[in-house]
Amino acid sequence: MSRAARALLFALLFIPNRVAGIAGNVVTALIQIWANKIRSLLTVLGIIIAVTSIISVVTLVEGFGDYVTNFLRGLGTNMMVVYPEWIRGPRGEYLRPAEMTVEDIQAVDGAADAIRRVSPVIHQRATVEYGRQQLVGVSMRCTNELFQSIRNFYVDAGRFFGAVDVEAGAPVCVLGREILRKLECDESIVGDYVHVDNQRFRVIGLLESKGSFMGDNQDELLLIPWTTGLKLYPENRKYLAFYVEAMEEPQVPKAEGQLVSILRKRHALRPGDRNDFGIFKQDEILQEFRKIRVVATSVLAGIVSISLLVGGIGIMNVMLVSVTERTREIGLRKSVGARRRDILLQFLTEAVVLSTVGGAIGIAAGYAITYVAALHPSMVEVRVPLWSVALALGFSAGVGIFFGIIPAFKAAIIHPIDALRHE
Amino acid sequence: MSADPSQPGAPSGGELSPVIELLDVRKIYRVGTELVHALRGVTLDIRENEYVAIMGPSGSGKSTLMNILGCLDILTSGEYRLGGQDVSKLSQSKLAGIRGRRIGFVFQSFELLPRTTALKNVELPLTYTRAPHRRRRAIEALERVSLLDRMHHRPNQLSGGQKQRVAIARALAQQPDIILADEPTGNLDSTTGEEIMAVFDRLRAEGQTIIIVTHEDEIAQRCERVIKLRDGQVVLDTGRAARRFAREAGADRALLGAAAEMAT
Repeated sequence: MSRAARALLFALLFIPNRVAGIAGNVVTALIQIWANKIRSLLTVLGIIIAVTSIISVVTLVEGFGDYVTNFLRGLGTNMMVVYPEWIRGPRGEYLRPAEMTVEDIQAVDGAADAIRRVSPVIHQRATVEYGRQQLVGVSMRCTNELFQSIRNFYVDAGRFFGAVDVEAGAPVCVLGREILRKLECDESIVGDYVHVDNQRFRVIGLLESKGSFMGDNQDELLLIPWTTGLKLYPENRKYLAFYVEAMEEPQVPKAEGQLVSILRKRHALRPGDRNDFGIFKQDEILQEFRKIRVVATSVLAGIVSISLLVGGIGIMNVMLVSVTERTREIGLRKSVGARRRDILLQFLTEAVVLSTVGGAIGIAAGYAITYVAALHPSMVEVRVPLWSVALALGFSAGVGIFFGIIPAFKAAIIHPIDALRHE
Repeated sequence: MSADPSQPGAPSGGELSPVIELLDVRKIYRVGTELVHALRGVTLDIRENEYVAIMGPSGSGKSTLMNILGCLDILTSGEYRLGGQDVSKLSQSKLAGIRGRRIGFVFQSFELLPRTTALKNVELPLTYTRAPHRRRRAIEALERVSLLDRMHHRPNQLSGGQKQRVAIARALAQQPDIILADEPTGNLDSTTGEEIMAVFDRLRAEGQTIIIVTHEDEIAQRCERVIKLRDGQVVLDTGRAARRFAREAGADRALLGAAAEMAT
């Protein structure tokens, strides 16, 4: 028989026995842990804290991550918002808002090949009245017919205002679902009239529901043609903002470069001058979020490494005590045929089982915390990622091996005669 | 005495082969800077199915002898053959294997694992030698000490005598060449001690080789052979005389048989 074949045969014969041996060790370990419940619990407290932190922090960060990603996807992935900045003086003080006119917007629209389309927008807070209901401070956008496709935000009842309405500055409006709810009416409002800042508007459509983002309800939104908006709020004429949609998502940086150069030229800015307009892009949200994530991850890593260290030392300590307490047992086991490696494996298994039990308790606690956190009404949707459970279990088992090896080795090298004589 | 055929290396026909052969075994310990000669040249052999008591005052070397016989300790010089195999120069790991397969220990204080059933305690040696049919063999061993009905009890639910019987079953589980009992009745009252000795008597009748280390004369008297140690040397071994007597008795019977034949 060749060496390889012998090795294979040996493995086939030996592995089931080995597995049975380890299973026996695990049972012994569980009996020991159960016999010293309080001691075991106190020992693994550090592990429990570490694992609970891993599970809950990872879950919350991931939950917010998904939430932000979904929000951005809903926003349209190739969208930017351009708005006039305040002009600052030499000491950084705010002087006056920079201008942004409809001509600027048209210039951007016509001259850049990476830009698909633009849509002017005026942000306002308005008072909405319908019947006896009055809503104050409703978020209003005055924009054009391209809003739907640029913002990825569509009507699902009635219609959106068209180019004709925008051209004519028609007194028509589209309402978000939250306004409907607050006005206490249903879809029959389409075709009816509401008063917006004391002007009569016909409701022509209702927006689909988008939910809220960071406590900001996206459905509390009122849309009117921007031309109509200029009639209502003429002071905005020189301070327009606008949405820009790039051709494709990868072309967002190119589109940004093009619009920056067009606007700087139009605003006669010299090299070295700051832009007198701001650009809000999705990756800014992402970057903000990444910063939060880095902070959360470093705090987590700190907590986890300290508590794993404490937990590991606790395990090492209790295992050393256990080895001393059970010296006679070790002697007996050796006298009935246990080899050093059998004893080593037994105590190592015990340390790993102990730390893994701690890990399991921590996982349960982590689940409980995320469950309780999810009960809060404005909490984002969270789900414990499986990889964090695997990571937590891996960490706790690793701590068991790392801190269990010294006590296990100490147990393994005890001489059977000394062990049997031990009082 | 000089041409005694029962000396090691000269097994005679009709007698069982030696399980244990010690040849000039010496053991020297170092205690601090001092050397302690625990065994000063012990030579003896123990044959299958012998029932041996090892006696001696403390410091006589009987514990050392027992540790060496049990492969718990290695000798400084000399030779130890167990079941024909030289075990004097084996590694710790090999010795552990020998202990597991060939030797069944019975201790004064039982040494059962707490929180573990009698059955599991008896299975323990079998798990280390990775023997097959562990459960069945453990049950058989418990049956031999009449403890089947206490199989699922834990040590704290057993009396002292029952605990020692579980320990004996544990020693038997592996079907060892020898049972090595260290003061097996030392922690028991005399009635219970008697009960345990009865178990040993029965096992002996079933063919088991048994070595008991004891300081009690009553225990030693039940054994057919007594080995006494003092200062690391054998000072009395009833085995040789006893065997010679048996052999001579056998010769006498043969003579008688021949005479009877001639008479007819």
